[in-house]
Amino acid sequence: MDNLTAARTSMGVSLAFHIIFAALGVGLPVLLMVAEGLGLRNRDATWYALARRWSKAFGVLFVVGAVSGTTLSFEFGLLWPRFMGFASAVIGLPFALEGFAFFLEAIFLGLYLYGWERLSPRAHWLCTIPLVVAGAASAWFVVTANAWMNTPAGFTSVNGKVISVDPIAAILNPSTPTETIHTLLACYQVTGFAVAAVYAFALLRGRNDTYHRRGLALGVLLGSVIAPIQGVIGDASARHVAQYEPTKLAAMEALFHTTTGAAERPFGIPDLTTGQVHFTIEIPKLLSWLAFGDPNATVQGLDAVPRQYWPDVITTHLAFDTMVGLGILMILVPIWYWIAWYRRGKATPVASTWLLRALVALGPLSFLALEAGWIVTERGRQPWIIHNVMLVKDGVTPAPGVGLSLLLFVGIYVALAVTTVLLLRRIGRQPKAFTADEDHAPLPAEVG
Amino acid sequence: MSTLTLATICAALIWFALTAYAVLGGADFGGGIWDLLARGPRAAKERAAIASALGPVWEANNVWLIFVIVLTWTTFPIVYAAISTALFIPLTLALVGIIFRGAAFGFRSAYGRRIGAAQAWGYVFSVASVITPFVLGMIAGAIAGGAIHVHGQEVVANYWTTWTTPFAFACGAFALGLCSVLAATYLTAEAQTNGDHQMLDVFLPRAILAGAVTAAIGAIAALLARWEEPLVWQGLVGKALSLSLGAVLVGLATAGALILGRYRLARMLVAAETALIIGAWGVAQYPYLVVPDLTLQNAASPASTLTLAIICSLLGMLILLPSLWYLFVIFKIPTGSRPTETAASFALSLQEQEEEQCTTTPEDAGAESRPGGQLPNEAE
Repeated sequence: MDNLTAARTSMGVSLAFHIIFAALGVGLPVLLMVAEGLGLRNRDATWYALARRWSKAFGVLFVVGAVSGTTLSFEFGLLWPRFMGFASAVIGLPFALEGFAFFLEAIFLGLYLYGWERLSPRAHWLCTIPLVVAGAASAWFVVTANAWMNTPAGFTSVNGKVISVDPIAAILNPSTPTETIHTLLACYQVTGFAVAAVYAFALLRGRNDTYHRRGLALGVLLGSVIAPIQGVIGDASARHVAQYEPTKLAAMEALFHTTTGAAERPFGIPDLTTGQVHFTIEIPKLLSWLAFGDPNATVQGLDAVPRQYWPDVITTHLAFDTMVGLGILMILVPIWYWIAWYRRGKATPVASTWLLRALVALGPLSFLALEAGWIVTERGRQPWIIHNVMLVKDGVTPAPGVGLSLLLFVGIYVALAVTTVLLLRRIGRQPKAFTADEDHAPLPAEVG
Repeated sequence: MSTLTLATICAALIWFALTAYAVLGGADFGGGIWDLLARGPRAAKERAAIASALGPVWEANNVWLIFVIVLTWTTFPIVYAAISTALFIPLTLALVGIIFRGAAFGFRSAYGRRIGAAQAWGYVFSVASVITPFVLGMIAGAIAGGAIHVHGQEVVANYWTTWTTPFAFACGAFALGLCSVLAATYLTAEAQTNGDHQMLDVFLPRAILAGAVTAAIGAIAALLARWEEPLVWQGLVGKALSLSLGAVLVGLATAGALILGRYRLARMLVAAETALIIGAWGVAQYPYLVVPDLTLQNAASPASTLTLAIICSLLGMLILLPSLWYLFVIFKIPTGSRPTETAASFALSLQEQEEEQCTTTPEDAGAESRPGGQLPNEAE
């Protein structure tokens, strides 16, 4: 395997892995804040039991998120030293700011996880606020760097060396507003649906009590508040891409030829040789209207750029359709839930098993949507690492052993993923009542 | 301000973060080293003492390393690119060690006690805690060693020999020793704080012994530098002479404080010792960041980036340092300062009240108006 393929695969695997834990690290503090806040205000042990359970799961997830995030900070240099040598004078700063935010998150997570027996109830709850703020801030900063790769701004370069920089303009590049909000909302969305899926599954298993119904309701509540807003932001995001990254939009929509009054073609498999899309339906003029607010607008097709600068059209298009389709599903299923909730009364068992099954499915599907969205933005930018400035192949390391390190890291991620799942199941099987904490004083050597 | 002044301030910030990582994160690695070496009837108790010292703080301590990395790439991009390219292999090894150290510690805590898996992850944690600081020390030795050349944007270095010199190995051993000294000294001070004489007896002699061994390794590394790395040696006995001597004296003072039973003083002294060692390294190779081609002047980002990096770092520290102080006050100060009612005890008391209510008056349980828990109709 050549260095470029190995490095791209390595980076793809690392980001796909990290994004799951990062998203939960941003979203779970919100649920902790609400659950423990309700427990504190209403003097309610069940909310406390939920917060306690989530804090244990969060402890495991955060560790994996932290080590996979550390991995990324190494891999930027290990895999893409030429990209970093060029770009990090411009976009290093958001990473430094993200570093501060992450630091705060680590500090207050330490206080939160280990502080149950050390802090007053109020002080312990207050720790969730910096967790929420720092989580959102770190996601925002880190995505500004990715946004910059899509729409670079704020620098001038001569002969491959950056000579002047406006770091603020780089952070506030054209893609930043839509991309950061879109990603941040996605973090909350997947957290809501992941938590809902866990409790929907428990309810299907017949564990129908206040504890599980509340866990479900809070998860669905977060997901259903965010999902419609995400629809609006997603739409804004696509219109932004149409304007600033027309080639990416063409790949997302599998639009081979520049077209006036372009039709929207959901689903379908693009055929690169013939330039057609098979198994699709055409909705006339919808794409022009969606992208530019004018049914007769001209939408730039892939033919506007030379073939060697085409992104991976098939993957980008399929990932985009997957994301949009699942996004719509994430708006519809919660509506079903709330109708059932309203008709049956909030204290009685939740409606139909089919609704619960749909909610269980939506947990993993929401992560699929998250990954798909990330694939759209990354694969849709290929072959550029910095759009129209630097090609991916010019950023890669010349060092030996990149293929070997890829194998190594895939092995590590598998080990981490398996252990995380086993541990979460173990946490899930513990008695649901609030228990005094012994878990953080491990004495494994007592076995021997 | 000139770019050179700004670059020097940025290098000082990186030095500060590196020192914080060595003083705090280094001690966490040292905890893993002592975890690996725990033997005999007191092993379980030793491991528990180490785990409770690390638990709340290691994730925050680990972030100092991320700071070092992101500050380096922001302010001296070519330095980060050159080090990452030339030292691809040891950096990958260190990274694997960092991943396993962190993940294994977290997993072991989450498994709790008396589980085979916890024991296995505990072993991973301690082995990774030995490998990582050793490799990081080798990387430091390689950067100081002067075998990484940069011509324009091209990095020229041997991917193996750069970091496998005798001097680099000595640096690795020295880093490992320093971590073990830091951990043993902190654990001694913590044993005193907790009034735990047994752990005091365990870690005090180890702190002194490890200190002596580390000093010997340091002397060997210095001799190797004299023979093999003339640039490093000239720096250490030239520009950085006062810091080098200071490190030796503070090291002796640390041993004295330990012997005299002034453990909290020893904790501060050993931290100062570490700061002096890293400072001596930095001053010795000033103005080079990567000897012999990259200097503060020619590797720095444009002034606008440096200025903003400094402003952001200082503002960030204003939020960060009080938070960090709070974390350490809560977990590293005698247990007598705890509040009478904690979050856990509050939740437990609510639960007991609720269980009483459920057993005495189940009939007046309104759906959501009463505290949650077992509703009568939940049994269905």
